Amino acid sequence: MPSLRELERDLRVALLGGDDGPAQAAIQGDGLDPGARLGIYRHHVITTLTAALQATYPVVCRLVDERFFAYAADRFIRDTPPSGPCLFEYGAGLADFLAGFPPCHALPYLADVARLEWALQRALHAPEAVPLPMRAVEGVAPEAAASLTFTLDASASWLASPYPTDRIWRANQTDAPGPEVVDLAAGGARLEARRQGDHAIFRALDPGSFAFRRALATGANLAAATGAALAVDPAFGLAPALAALFEDELPVAFTCTPSHPGDQPCQSQP
Amino acid sequence: MAMISAGGTTGAGLVGIGLRTPHLAEIIATPPPIGWLEVHTENYLGGGPAPRALARVRGEHAVSLHGVGLSLGSADGLDRAHLARVAELTRRIEPALVSEHLSWSIAGGAYLNHLLPLPYTEESLGLVARNVSRAQEALGRPLLIENPSSYLRFRHSPIPEPEFLSELVRRTGCGLLCDVNNVFVSCRNFDRDPAAYLDALPAAAIGEVHLAGHARNEAEGRIILIDDHGSPVTDEVWALFARALDRFGPRPTLIEWDTDVPALAVLLGEARRAEAAIARAVATGGPRAVAA
Repeated sequence: MPSLRELERDLRVALLGGDDGPAQAAIQGDGLDPGARLGIYRHHVITTLTAALQATYPVVCRLVDERFFAYAADRFIRDTPPSGPCLFEYGAGLADFLAGFPPCHALPYLADVARLEWALQRALHAPEAVPLPMRAVEGVAPEAAASLTFTLDASASWLASPYPTDRIWRANQTDAPGPEVVDLAAGGARLEARRQGDHAIFRALDPGSFAFRRALATGANLAAATGAALAVDPAFGLAPALAALFEDELPVAFTCTPSHPGDQPCQSQP
Repeated sequence: MAMISAGGTTGAGLVGIGLRTPHLAEIIATPPPIGWLEVHTENYLGGGPAPRALARVRGEHAVSLHGVGLSLGSADGLDRAHLARVAELTRRIEPALVSEHLSWSIAGGAYLNHLLPLPYTEESLGLVARNVSRAQEALGRPLLIENPSSYLRFRHSPIPEPEFLSELVRRTGCGLLCDVNNVFVSCRNFDRDPAAYLDALPAAAIGEVHLAGHARNEAEGRIILIDDHGSPVTDEVWALFARALDRFGPRPTLIEWDTDVPALAVLLGEARRAEAAIARAVATGGPRAVAA
């Protein structure tokens, strides 16, 4: 007789499409093949998790059609079942899975569309944050300003793709005006996704702003982020970019390193 | 914090419905005449529109938090991070009721999104009791534990389910959520008598009742009832509800509908029917038919 832990492990293997022999051995048939009884549970596990992925990735589902999506989701779920019970957090790895899934290789943009949909999903359910007013950094000594680092709104993320993922996404909304041919060679996208009110939205950024914000989001200080922006846009201006960052209510906290030894490090008040 | 009314002689106030996304805007715009609303805890543990809407709803209605993810039957123990999130939401929402299931859904770090069955053994009882006690400690209040719908049972499962639940109540001080549809589904699937099942539950521990529809599937020539919450409560389950009222007295009662969710009016119609059943039980009942 297996221990409860062994039994649960056996059922887990069986429900995710592995060998169901050990689980079957523990089940009383009651007039039915134990495998058929397991099948009732397996069907629920796979179909409800597939539905959760469909809800998060409606455009990917539309691009590949529902039947293929279910086939890919089945493989993904077996490889990467949810790690926790909040299903709105499930499916972060689908883009990477699709990128490495041979039947999808004919659609090279698919993984980046999935990344955009995941960014929107993340944005919608991200923790609430209170934006920082620009005057909060006005007291920072000028010589310390280069060392400023920001914590940005947790709902925001930045995505670059060599494909026009924004146009592909829009053309595949259920309320899109009609069939549209998206030219894959029309140029890539630099997108900022975040929550606004009760909705997740995205918009395209110019190369300098995109590089600046993405660098700040990954922890670069103001000097390094400015360098990253100038590298792609020699006309990048820090002052308007910083003002726009606050106007867009992205910073929620900051820290900076004092320029004189012995000075206190500065940071925003929680 | 809004409470659930004792129901009085009409049953009004004692009956709630499951709050589902398609009805959210309508319920916020025009709060319906319903005693209380139940939500699935795991849908409200992030930020954004869902918890904002719940914060608004709780201003008008008593709310019940019905969890599907604590996995109280996990031999691996509880997911502490998840439990902390549930405790935080419970502090914030101040729900009238908090419930979970006699089941497991997490093994080896994988969440299987199903209320999976346990073998009813001394080992399981000790483990579930430990997990329930830990959860109650973290939440700072007793849980109501729901009897599951079952489609399989284990070769070695010597303790009858109602007895297992009774002993869990005794060991942990938890209450019970008696899902009358689940009683019906499980008993039919294993040729047991649902009335005898109800009779074996400790009446004083019942803190909530669930009602829902089920589907009939056929496998290898056998009818298997599936608890899919996708149709009206069946006549047989209404009859079993009347028996539950007779046995337990009026309790907060929920209409659950999760798949093919119909118009709000349909759910409210089912709720009216439950209120009428409660009113009948109060009118004809003996000393048992007194609200807890």
